[in-house]
Parts: sequence; structure tokens; C-alpha cells
Amino acid sequence: MEEITKIKKEIDLDRRGFIKKVLSGAIGGSLLLVMPATAREIAEQIPGMKEQTDLFIADKKFAFVVDITGCIGCGSCCIADKNEYQVPDGHYRTWVERYIIDDHDEVYVDSPNGGLDGYTEPRDDIKNPIRDTFFAPKLCNMCENPSCVQVCPVGATFRTEDGFILVDDKRCVGCSYCVQACPYSVRFINPVKHTAEKCTWCYHRVRQGMLPACVNVCPVHARKFGDLNDKSSEVYKLLHEPHVISVLKPDMGNKPSLHYLGLRREVI
Amino acid sequence: MQQNFKSSYNVHVVRILLTFVGMIIVGSLLRSLLLPSEFGDYGHYRPGAVTEEANREMRNKTNDSCLDCHYFVKKIHLKGVHEVVSCEVCHGAYSDHVKDGKVIGEMPVYRGEEIKSLCLRCHNKIIRARPPESIKMIAMPEHLEEKNVRTDHVCNQCHHVHAPYKWIKEAREMMGLPEKWEGGSSWKK
Ligand code: HEC
Ligand code: HEC
Ligand code: HEC
Ligand code: HEC
Repeated sequence: MEEITKIKKEIDLDRRGFIKKVLSGAIGGSLLLVMPATAREIAEQIPGMKEQTDLFIADKKFAFVVDITGCIGCGSCCIADKNEYQVPDGHYRTWVERYIIDDHDEVYVDSPNGGLDGYTEPRDDIKNPIRDTFFAPKLCNMCENPSCVQVCPVGATFRTEDGFILVDDKRCVGCSYCVQACPYSVRFINPVKHTAEKCTWCYHRVRQGMLPACVNVCPVHARKFGDLNDKSSEVYKLLHEPHVISVLKPDMGNKPSLHYLGLRREVI
Repeated sequence: MQQNFKSSYNVHVVRILLTFVGMIIVGSLLRSLLLPSEFGDYGHYRPGAVTEEANREMRNKTNDSCLDCHYFVKKIHLKGVHEVVSCEVCHGAYSDHVKDGKVIGEMPVYRGEEIKSLCLRCHNKIIRARPPESIKMIAMPEHLEEKNVRTDHVCNQCHHVHAPYKWIKEAREMMGLPEKWEGGSSWKK
């Protein structure tokens, strides 16, 4: 960055001399390093999305896979999510739970501040030997049969034709029916706007060809997002080849599009 | 008597019908007043909400977008094992720092002891739920004790935050111990 200020100073001191210097190549090299900075658009992470201008996304069926065997519980996803939506303190569009199962099959779950500050302390209140322990990130399940949409009295929450469940905060009256109807407790009432809010799998980012914020920052690639219509995508392969993969609460019949790799039956 | 009864019967029917028609008119008037114009075109919702959500401001970008300007960090970050870690997790959201290609705000930078808790967020061994295949972990202060240094050292005294093995590799090379490093010119292991 000193480079930029140096160049700016050079320009201010003597424009003519500066141009001469550039032409002679003296600082041309360093200028080249600085020039593309503002000009370049960031590359699409999901190809072909910027060309789509229709109301709904065409020819793509997105799915989300969370790898429980990979998650390290660092809370990077929670930080990115809070930054992306400026989520009010104490509410979470996505969060990470820590599961500890002892050899008596007793299950201990905690999620201090939704995992936003990371996990800094071990649990030392567990007397029996620990059989299994892992982190389970949670977010919107984007159900094919969403209970939240069924109960909304004003049509403020809906499922788009491309499979995303969104909230229309202009129509929402904040009645909280959807908050209670969601089997996965992903919804809350925003204390500032007094409307329902939840994870959207970063619909706005996806529409611009970017991965959801949490997927983009996960350092161990435990969150995977992709198109099921693309047979070469990672999510397609995970869902169409033998893997230990399941959804949360399948008995509810909501048919989530969020899948968990290595899911234990204790996770609810 | 008969006549009278019949006429009042007809009046009743007409009244009921009129009330119905009135209710339908008032109802549809209210409906068109209360519902946005495009409501129901695709389903029981307002299609404009989809466009509004799609046009929400994108506050986080990618590492590449930071590295467009931070050329000196780029030369280090992309060569180290932390290449996979997001700048914005350790620093902050892009849109608090840059708007339309111009710097509009300062980025927070962790310093001193804060760096230790930042690193331990991902590398702390005592949090047992971490799958060891995903990440290498260390226990404090054992990590420092086994290196025979004072235990109040902060991580960035030995590890470059953007490429943790940079200095360690360079130090080893200086002391003629390069064989452990297979990454060639990079600072990966
Ligand atoms: C448009 C170019 C540009 C982009 C893009 C950009 N920065 Fe910066 N950044 C700067 C400049 C110029 C400074 C120096 C500002 C100052 O000193 O006031 C700076 C300062 C910083 C600092 C503070 C350095 C210090 O010593 O205090 C950090 C940290 C930082 N940027 C991180 C980032 C991250 C992370 C991103 C991506 C999200 C990013 N920057 C994107 C231009 C940019
Ligand atoms: C693991 C967390 C982490 C990540 C990832 C990270 N930084 Fe940093 N960064 C730090 C810390 C901590 C410091 C302070 C370094 C110090 O004081 O020694 C720093 C310092 C900086 C500085 C100030 C200049 C300097 O070197 O002291 C800039 C600029 C910067 N980072 C940009 C970036 C950019 C751009 C990225 C993404 C490519 C990035 N950082 C990724 C933790 C991180
Ligand atoms: C957001 C999580 C995160 C934070 C914060 C973080 N790291 Fe890392 N670190 C990783 C990941 C993930 C890897 C493994 C990269 C790989 O193997 O591809 C890694 C790798 C490393 C390694 C190399 C281990 C190996 O694989 O051989 C060292 C050393 C290291 N980090 C030190 C640090 C230090 C020091 C800090 C604090 C400045 C820090 N890390 C902060 C995620 C993080
Ligand atoms: C005195 C210097 C020093 C300090 C301070 C230090 N480390 Fe290290 N660390 C090393 C060296 C050297 C290695 C290389 C591998 C080895 O020899 O253990 C290493 C390796 C690592 C590894 C990889 C371990 C593995 O199994 O491969 C991680 C993770 C790590 N350090 C994290 C940290 C964190 C987090 C801190 C701060 C709390 C820290 N280190 C402080 C010197 C240091």
C-alpha cells in the first residue's frame, strides 16, 4: 500500500516528470500492479449466474451439504453470516452446535453465542467417558414442503420456483406463526424490523454468481453448495453415490434440501 | 294474507342477494386496495420480493477481491497453508472497508494476545470435537514448552499470520534443515 501513496506523491510533485518516468518504465511495473485493482470484477463462483436475468433461476436445482465429519467449529461461517446480514446480537441465521455423547448414550449439546465466538472451553461437566463428539452447523433446510409457507396468513413467506424459501419483509406482519411452525427453529423475529427473518442460502449472492457467505469462508470445506442438475458437481456426487448422508427430522415430511454428511441420529 | 306473505318472501330473497353482491363488491375492492398489483402471479406471494432479495447488498466478497489491492499480502498468503482461510473472518467485511473501488473505512487488525485467541479458535486441541483429519491442532502451553521458549510467546512471533510456515521454513533453511519441507518455493509443508 505504500506503493500507492508513493506513486500518488510522485504524481502530485511533478506530473510531466511522472509520465516521462512511466514511459521510461521506471515505475511502470509497479503501476501495473495497482491499476487492475479497481477495474476488475470478481470472478463468478457459480458459472452462468450473471447472465440469468429472469425472475427465477433457470435450469438449476441447488442443494446444500454440511459435512459433520469435517467441521472444526471455528465459527467462521457465523462471523461471515453476521457480517453479511448485520444480524442483531442474540439472533442467528446460522449457528454451530457442539454435541458430546458419553458411553451411557447421554447427549450434551451446547452452542455458546451460536458459535459466533468459537469454542474456547472444553466441557468438563461430563463424568462418563466420551463416546462421540462433533460439531453440527445449522441453517435453513429449504424444504420442498415448507411448514412456514403453509402457515403464513399473508403470503409473506413463500417458495420460489427455483426452490428458495424467502421472506417478504414488506408484507410480514410479525405474527410469528412461521417461527413456531419451523421444525428446525431457523426463524426469529428481527427485533428492529419486527418481521420474520431466516437464512436464505444467501439468495442475493447466488443470483450474482457467488457462493453463500458461509460456504465461501469455511476453511475446511465442511459446507458445500452446488447444482444438482450438474452431474459433475460435488453435491450431485455426494447425493448419488454411496455415502452416510441424511436430512434432519425426515419423519416430519418437510423434505429438506439441506443434507448432512456423517449425520448421527442424536442430532435433531 | 297469502299475497302479503309471498311478497315479503320475495323481498327477503332480494335482500339476501343484494347483500351478497354488496359483500363481493366491497370484498374485491378491499382486496385490490390491500394486495400489491402483482400478488399471486406466480403463487401466494409478491414477486417483487424476489427481486428485492436478489438485489440485497453483498457485504462479503472473496479473498481474491482483497488481494486485488493488497498485493504484498497476496505474495505471502497464496503461498502458505492459510490460503484457504478467509481474510474477512480475521479482518472484517469488504463493504465496511471498500466501496466502489475506494477505501471508506479502516479494517480491524488483531494484535498481541488477541492473535492468540484468534489462532486457537481453529487450532485448539482441548476442544475435543475437532476432527484431526480436518485440521492440525496444538495444546497450549505444551506447544511452546516443547520448543523450549517462554510460554508468554504469541503465535505470530514464530508463525506469519498469513502463511504460518513462512518464517519457520526460512529459519530451517538458514540452519541447513530444508529436507523436511517438500513444498518447493511455497511455504506449505
Ligand atoms: C480498493 C483497494 C482495496 C481493497 C479491495 C481492499 N483493501 Fe484493505 N486497504 C487498502 C488501503 C489503501 C489500505 C490502507 C488504508 C489506510 O492506511 O488508511 C488498506 C488497509 C487494510 C488493512 C489495515 C492495515 C493496517 O496496517 O492497519 C487491512 C487489515 C486490510 N486493508 C484488509 C483488507 C481486506 C481483508 C480486504 C478484503 C475484504 C481488503 N483489505 C480489501 C486498500 C484495499
Ligand atoms: C488467520 C487470520 C488472518 C487471515 C486469514 C488474514 N489475516 Fe491479515 N492479519 C491477521 C493478523 C493477526 C494481522 C496482524 C499481524 C501482526 O500484527 O503481526 C494481519 C495483518 C494484516 C494487514 C496489515 C499489514 C501487515 O502485514 O501487518 C493486512 C493489510 C492484512 N492483514 C490483509 C489481509 C488480507 C488481504 C487477507 C486475505 C488474503 C488476510 N489479511 C488474511 C490475520 C489474518
Ligand atoms: C479460521 C480458522 C483458522 C484460523 C483463525 C487460523 N488457522 Fe491456521 N489453519 C487453518 C486451516 C484450515 C489450516 C489447514 C490448511 C490445510 O491443511 O490446507 C491451517 C493450517 C495452519 C498451520 C499448518 C498446519 C499444517 O497443516 O501443517 C499452522 C502452523 C497454522 N495454521 C497456524 C495458525 C496460526 C499461528 C494462526 C493465528 C494467526 C492460525 N493458524 C489461525 C485454519 C485457521
Ligand atoms: C516459539 C515459536 C512458536 C510459537 C510461539 C508458536 N509456534 Fe506453532 N509451531 C512452531 C514450529 C517450529 C512448528 C513446526 C512444527 C513443529 O516443529 O512442531 C509449529 C507448528 C504449529 C502447528 C502445526 C502442528 C502440527 O501438528 O503440525 C500449529 C497448528 C501451530 N504451530 C499453531 C500455533 C499457535 C496457534 C500458536 C500460538 C498459540 C503457535 N503455534 C505458537 C513454533 C511456534
